[in-house]
Amino acid sequence: MFKTINRKNQRYPRAVISPFTTNTINRTNPWVAAWWSAAFPGFGHMFLGRYITGFVLTIWEIILNLKANINLAIIYSFTGQFDQAREVLDYKLFIVYIGAFVFGIWDSYRISVEMNKRSVLADRTDPVVDNFSMSPFSINCFEKRNPWVSAAWSCLVPGLGHVYIHRLATGFFVLIIWALAVYFSRMLVAMHLTLTGAFSEAAAVIDPAYFLFLPSLYGFSIYCSYVYTVEYNKVFKAEQAGYLKANYQSPDSKMPC
Amino acid sequence: MHIVASLEQSLFLELAITELEEKGIAKNKIVAVPLKKKAGNSRIFDTIHRADGISLFDGAMILGTVFAILGAIYGTVLKWGPVLWGIIGLFTGFAVGLLLDLLINKRRTAGKKTKPIPAEVVLIINCDREQAEMVEKVLWDNQALGVGRINT
Repeated sequence: MFKTINRKNQRYPRAVISPFTTNTINRTNPWVAAWWSAAFPGFGHMFLGRYITGFVLTIWEIILNLKANINLAIIYSFTGQFDQAREVLDYKLFIVYIGAFVFGIWDSYRISVEMNKRSVLADRTDPVVDNFSMSPFSINCFEKRNPWVSAAWSCLVPGLGHVYIHRLATGFFVLIIWALAVYFSRMLVAMHLTLTGAFSEAAAVIDPAYFLFLPSLYGFSIYCSYVYTVEYNKVFKAEQAGYLKANYQSPDSKMPC
Repeated sequence: MHIVASLEQSLFLELAITELEEKGIAKNKIVAVPLKKKAGNSRIFDTIHRADGISLFDGAMILGTVFAILGAIYGTVLKWGPVLWGIIGLFTGFAVGLLLDLLINKRRTAGKKTKPIPAEVVLIINCDREQAEMVEKVLWDNQALGVGRINT
């Protein structure tokens, strides 16, 4: 029926699609990857599609941060209450934490640089990508989606923007930790009090140790879902262009001139 | 004769091609030319097609997050509380980041302004005079951007 391209044995693949999720090798700014690791260890790796490292570092960050009271210490230090910061911080755990924190930033910068080289090499070979993957439980395909729709869903509930583009490994993980952080920080109670003008009660009801996880989660999910909507659109276009070239540029076509 | 059309890349394009084939246009009478875009021509706002290279979203989201964290921290001691200050921080940071990105971009791309052209593929269909109207209708029905004839 139509010519298919051999998708095996590619040295520099552009993207891999499975019923569960899509992973791509694309150009990223290493400083941006490093920043997301600084905002929330593990997020830089999730941004770059390295889920196992990303999940481990994120869970590590959540547990150690809560056990060592790092978020509390950050708030006390930034607001000038240095004695309280010293009192609340668990130094033995803090020293363990620092190692993985710095590693996360360094490693995502490095990965971004290396993957950028591979991305250039992938662009120099013909794109050989499946545009579709299906199992009895799920269907995943490249399609043209609007990045602003992803961003809007992530604004409403972080994680949904990723679910929209079928980047489910990030989507479900972010949904779960967002829900947990919202619940334990009592953010929605504080939101209610804030909207009715009870500002001091709102500040009192919030648990800052959990609340400080929320801004990074929010920003990351919006940014990451936007960027990958664009990247998946590009893979869609590259795959379709490759198919058209292989099937609709026959040498015996009669041309007007 | 030949019908020439420009389209955006989407599944409509493949629907159009397969419909033409179903209606009797042979495969070797259809030629599709995917267009490469002029490299380095950056647009002020990101489109569906690009976010890498120069993006206005990077700085905006990063500063938005930084300011949201700072807002949440100082909100614990300020009157309006951490929720409101966190949200104020997010929007302020986003606006500042966007402005900075716009300024940097303007300097970088000064004098290189070109309008983006949505056409991504050119289709050339070789058909008989009687088929021309049918071919044009199929193309228009599948969201062609423009369709023209070459009478030869």
